[in-house]
Amino acid sequence: MAKSARQAQIEKAALYPLDWTEERTGLVGYTKWFLFRNVPRDVNWMQTLGAATLTAFIVQATTGVFLAMYYKPDPDSAYASIQNITNEVTLGWLVRGMHKWGASLFIILMFLHMARTFMFGAYKYPRELNWITGVILLVMGMAEGFTGYLLPWDQTAYWATVVGININATAPIAGPFIAQFLQGGAQIGPDTLSKFYSLHMLVIPGGIMALIGLHMYLVIRLGVTSPPWSPTAAGRPRDEGEEPQGYGAYREGLIREHEEDKAS
Amino acid sequence: MASKKVQEDRDAFKRYKEDVKKEGKPFFPYAIFHDTVMSFVVVAVIIGLAVIWKFTVDDGQPGALGPLYEKEADPGTTNFIPRPDWFFYFLFYLLRIFKWPESVVLGTVGIPTLLLILLIMLPFYDRRPERLLLRRPVAFVAAILVVISMGVLTWKGATAKEGSEAVGEVPTWAKEQGFADNAVAVEVATLFAESGCLNCHVYLGAGGQNLGAPELTEEGLKNRGIEWQVAHLKNPSSKVPGSPMPSFADLGDENLTKIATFLEASKGPQK
Repeated sequence: MAKSARQAQIEKAALYPLDWTEERTGLVGYTKWFLFRNVPRDVNWMQTLGAATLTAFIVQATTGVFLAMYYKPDPDSAYASIQNITNEVTLGWLVRGMHKWGASLFIILMFLHMARTFMFGAYKYPRELNWITGVILLVMGMAEGFTGYLLPWDQTAYWATVVGININATAPIAGPFIAQFLQGGAQIGPDTLSKFYSLHMLVIPGGIMALIGLHMYLVIRLGVTSPPWSPTAAGRPRDEGEEPQGYGAYREGLIREHEEDKAS
Repeated sequence: MASKKVQEDRDAFKRYKEDVKKEGKPFFPYAIFHDTVMSFVVVAVIIGLAVIWKFTVDDGQPGALGPLYEKEADPGTTNFIPRPDWFFYFLFYLLRIFKWPESVVLGTVGIPTLLLILLIMLPFYDRRPERLLLRRPVAFVAAILVVISMGVLTWKGATAKEGSEAVGEVPTWAKEQGFADNAVAVEVATLFAESGCLNCHVYLGAGGQNLGAPELTEEGLKNRGIEWQVAHLKNPSSKVPGSPMPSFADLGDENLTKIATFLEASKGPQK
């Protein structure tokens, strides 16, 4: 049954905003391509660790925005503002707790994601830059951990930062300058706190977001790898005309079995 | 003209793209479903940890996941043991392995920087196309060693003690510095060990090595005098400009004089 003229009209009206956007940005077509592009058939649960890490980062960014609304980066009031967030602000304890524990989970997930990539040999040609951006993201994530640790302005925070800054100072050439920049004075005080706050919520997260964008662009452009043990791995070697040998033969055998299993 | 290796890599990647196109499955809804499930698990775990952290705290007693906050920062404290967040324990402990002040820079900067460069350059020296871990013996062994050493260093860092445990060292010091039969000296040495000096300084091999603070074993040889020592303890940067050492004025004149006397009497091990 053909569509009535009225139905066609409604459909056109409903789709109009999409068409309008597509005509000007091309983003609708790109999104369709992004969603319906193929990935290898045999992708593994372990390959969701990247998405898990991204989720942990989004949790950190979101809870961080709310914490920044109530936190006061000044030695006289920082500790009191943390107490206020934990005890007075509605659900403040939840937001702070999620930020505190999410940080640990974020670090753990980055390491697990890296371990998975290593195990799959997924850093090899042509994915070298995925690996490099990933390692920089790991370092920046740990820098977030270091700068964020001072902000509650409690004893652990203060003394761990004393040690951290002193460790920076032992580096040759640039060390003392970095330490002096971080500390911003003779003692860890107001200047240190506001510097760490700025690094923790503006500079490093900005860098992390930009690098996550690049990291994901590369992942989407190059595609994800099949698990290396998969008999039907995408890009598996095939030697046409000649009998495969050694491991290649073993792998080909598995593929043949796999296909026969499916056929039967 | 591309080399054989480059050509093989390119062919393999071309084959990968063709296979994915021909045999793959669409990202939506298959892969994105797994990613979404995983994301919910992550958020649930984070909320779960926050809830356990908050609700196991009982009347100010730290709960299963530790206290809601420590005491407020106090730059005047002398015996607080610094401890970084858990994911820095491996670095924290690496520093303690290096016993000689000249080599501390190896632990703080040398080894971590070297390992970081090795990590970031991995795709450039591991260039074989083989991806199956069992057929990459060097990578396999290296991975196991890295996991074990990171695990051991993290565990050691988590259980490390420092600073106040130096009290147990006092009898050894008395023997080596030759004041064992002097009761006053032993009492003063105990005061010195308890006051937190060794969180940063080294005395006869005991104490914190990771801050670059000067060793005190032979402090007496500098002949600075008790008065200088007391003034320095009260306000370190007045005597040593730019010194990061905190003030110990809280200990009181009497105790400071005792510690100063002790330092002046420390002239290194008696042979």
